[in-house]
Amino acid sequence: MSALRQQLDAGGATIWRLVDGMRWRAWEGEAVAYNDRTGDTHHFADFAAWIFARLCASSASAEDLERDAAESVELASGASIADTVERTLALLRRLEMIEPAA
Amino acid sequence: MTDQTVFLRLGPFTAALTTPFADVVAQLKLLYPPQFFPKSADFADFHVALLPGKGLRRVFRPQARFLIDGHAHFKPLPRSQALPLVEWGLNYAIAGLAHQYLIVHAAAIEKNGRVAILPGAPGAGKSTLTAGLIYRGWRLLSDELALIRRSDGQIVPLARPVNLKNESIALMQRFAPSAVFSAPAHDTAKGTVALMRAPEDSLVKVGQAAPSGWIIFPQWRKGEPARLTPFSKPAGLVELGHNAMNYSLHEAQGFELLADIFAGSGCYRFTYGDLNEAASAMNALAAA
Repeated sequence: MSALRQQLDAGGATIWRLVDGMRWRAWEGEAVAYNDRTGDTHHFADFAAWIFARLCASSASAEDLERDAAESVELASGASIADTVERTLALLRRLEMIEPAA
Repeated sequence: MTDQTVFLRLGPFTAALTTPFADVVAQLKLLYPPQFFPKSADFADFHVALLPGKGLRRVFRPQARFLIDGHAHFKPLPRSQALPLVEWGLNYAIAGLAHQYLIVHAAAIEKNGRVAILPGAPGAGKSTLTAGLIYRGWRLLSDELALIRRSDGQIVPLARPVNLKNESIALMQRFAPSAVFSAPAHDTAKGTVALMRAPEDSLVKVGQAAPSGWIIFPQWRKGEPARLTPFSKPAGLVELGHNAMNYSLHEAQGFELLADIFAGSGCYRFTYGDLNEAASAMNALAAA
């Protein structure tokens, strides 16, 4: 388990969900979201948009996201799905957009 | 010099302007039609004043000060820049006080019942493009501040003179020979500035709000052909939010307003180098 994964997911297969008060729209594979907690607006493209939309649909663990992504997303050659999921979850956590589901 | 107070209709607002500068009032009356100057008003949204500088400057380096509710929010400018100071000061008052609207730093023009919102950083050519298009069939809603009504997301007109700078002044004088211009003010922070009166149709229809049809980010580039390029709506929304004066104040409702506008609008980047070509491209877009 990478240091980033441990930091994100210290207890194992944490289920992540969007925080309350998130408003969002998606167009043509990109998303824009307003976080009521911080007052910030964020634009997600590419894989980040996919993960964000996936979490909008339902809560998921990193493993869930990796599995689903492997079935439906093509990453740039050489990129690791697991690493990209980790980095994106870390970003969403830092932006206070996701939290562990109770 | 005796102070006089004139009332000025600015779209949905009324300003009460007190000033001893008769030449500035005369210039305003050149730029706004008579019906925009009611003899009296039950209520004024903004009480502003344009006054001479203080002390010895009154004699040696005459200045003009702009006050909102008796308070100076910015430094005085040379007396020769009094007219643009009034327009800039009124923009400041609207942007700072009219929070019943989501206010975006953007031009807004209408054709066939739909509004093109044109945000633009300084130097992007927003005002020049706006000035050109309103003399090629588009209606001016606003040159500087697009007022988005919270109840329905429609754009409310704020038809006022278009603020032109430097080379754009002579360009527009050639492009629209019938247009009325103020005397130029030189050596302002923006260079030479002149105000161009809005076409009569825009002034007559100042009460008619309209829904957004397009969000277009213009960029003038010398010698380039006019080209509309589809632009990401999520990226456009973030950029438009950055151009809004009070987006954060409206919190989630501000986001929802912009999101609804983008949902119902086309989103483009627009580069142009020639006003006639730009007008053709924009008219084709409106006709599609």
